[in-house]
Amino acid sequence: MNENTEEIMLDLLCKQAVYGLNEEETKQLSQLEKGFGGLDAESIEATAAMIALVGVDAKAEMPTHLQARILDSADDYFHSLAVSRNDGAAGRAIVETATPRRSFVDWLGWAVAAAACVALGVNIYLTRSQPAVDTARQGVPTPTATVELTPAQKRQQLMESAPDVIRADVAGMKEYQHVGGDIVWSDSEQTGYMRFRNLPVNDKSKETYQLWIFDETQEEKTPIDGGTFDVDQNGEVVIPINARLKAKNPKAFAVTVEKPGGVVVSKRERIAAIGKTSA
Amino acid sequence: MTRATLQSIAAGDKNAVQDCLKAYGGLVWSLARRMLRNSEDAEDAVQEIFIDVWKNAGRFDPSQSSETTFIAMIARRRLIDRIRYSQRRISSDSIEDMVVEPADSTAQNLQTTVEGREAFEALKALRPEQRQVLELSIIQGLSHQEISDATGMPLGTVKTHARRGILQARENLGLGKSGLSKEVPV
Repeated sequence: MNENTEEIMLDLLCKQAVYGLNEEETKQLSQLEKGFGGLDAESIEATAAMIALVGVDAKAEMPTHLQARILDSADDYFHSLAVSRNDGAAGRAIVETATPRRSFVDWLGWAVAAAACVALGVNIYLTRSQPAVDTARQGVPTPTATVELTPAQKRQQLMESAPDVIRADVAGMKEYQHVGGDIVWSDSEQTGYMRFRNLPVNDKSKETYQLWIFDETQEEKTPIDGGTFDVDQNGEVVIPINARLKAKNPKAFAVTVEKPGGVVVSKRERIAAIGKTSA
Repeated sequence: MTRATLQSIAAGDKNAVQDCLKAYGGLVWSLARRMLRNSEDAEDAVQEIFIDVWKNAGRFDPSQSSETTFIAMIARRRLIDRIRYSQRRISSDSIEDMVVEPADSTAQNLQTTVEGREAFEALKALRPEQRQVLELSIIQGLSHQEISDATGMPLGTVKTHARRGILQARENLGLGKSGLSKEVPV
């Protein structure tokens, strides 16, 4: 291998380990690897993998439903492995069946449609029989209505009716790393909803959650106060956004943990979750 | 978990899957959450990663790497693919925040694997700009361009720091073949 080729190959190997390669680069590296070797590509990749482990919590708890999905996949995999070994058709069956079971995203379209039907049914039932029960309570009291949709129903309604709904996936930070969910917002309606999974129940006497909206009307240092809220049950909660100012084209959202009643300006000492709107 | 686990999986022992999940499930889940953020994407990715682990279990060579590193390599390949093809990644803080305060604070609190601790020491021995580029790229998942935008470094400089940094870190970790140190100018 001449020095120039070695340099190109080393460049590609480093890029592969650090950032990944595009299709063209992958082909180029593959060609070079056929002709040459000796640069110990695996050790470069192993270095990147070890660096990736810095700060990773190996004791984090994987969701139980995910464990169940993986064990289901294992059943499929080992079954197909056994079949392929018995049939002598090595490989084919594995390729055909050892793909993940249908993912959540695949089912999402059907789930949304089903949820809409359920929401409609529930709505009809609730409007004729009993008031709705919120899954979480706003820190600021809102007027009580005799007939009220749940926040989850209102969220669904907003998504179906407002043409300008934007959505941000939410990720938990540090000790809140298990938190997931999303935030939807409509500029035209000036309404939005937060949906969280695994956001811990807070001790209302000591702290509250507060939402911050980073939009184009305010500087990053002074985002819009999106209201305080408490979580009083585990699992999934849907909470309406209570923006104190008119928000325009939000770019990101953050949930901080503050003293009861909330704050005017957050010191951002405890950030529970953040979400960035899709580009 | 002993090294026999991956070998058992390679031999078709389904029971070893439980051990593998128990030992590495949290680690893979954490990696996926950090790189993808979206928990639904992360769940799909983790499932795919473990299938990759079973398929590749026979390739594990304890003389080359630990099981943890081997599994982290497989995980990163899958996660990088997902990031490149989906563009749905979000960053944990504003990019500016990450530049001001890279992974140090988390690293000091959460070094939970031997490999992570070794890598942390190897990073500390790098030049600051090399370390910064590797932390932003590998740990925070930023692209060359994003790092350039955030730090103000020219794109070519970012690439150079990434390359020299990863090769120097490899040497600091004692990985790879000897004789390549001439390729690691600092």
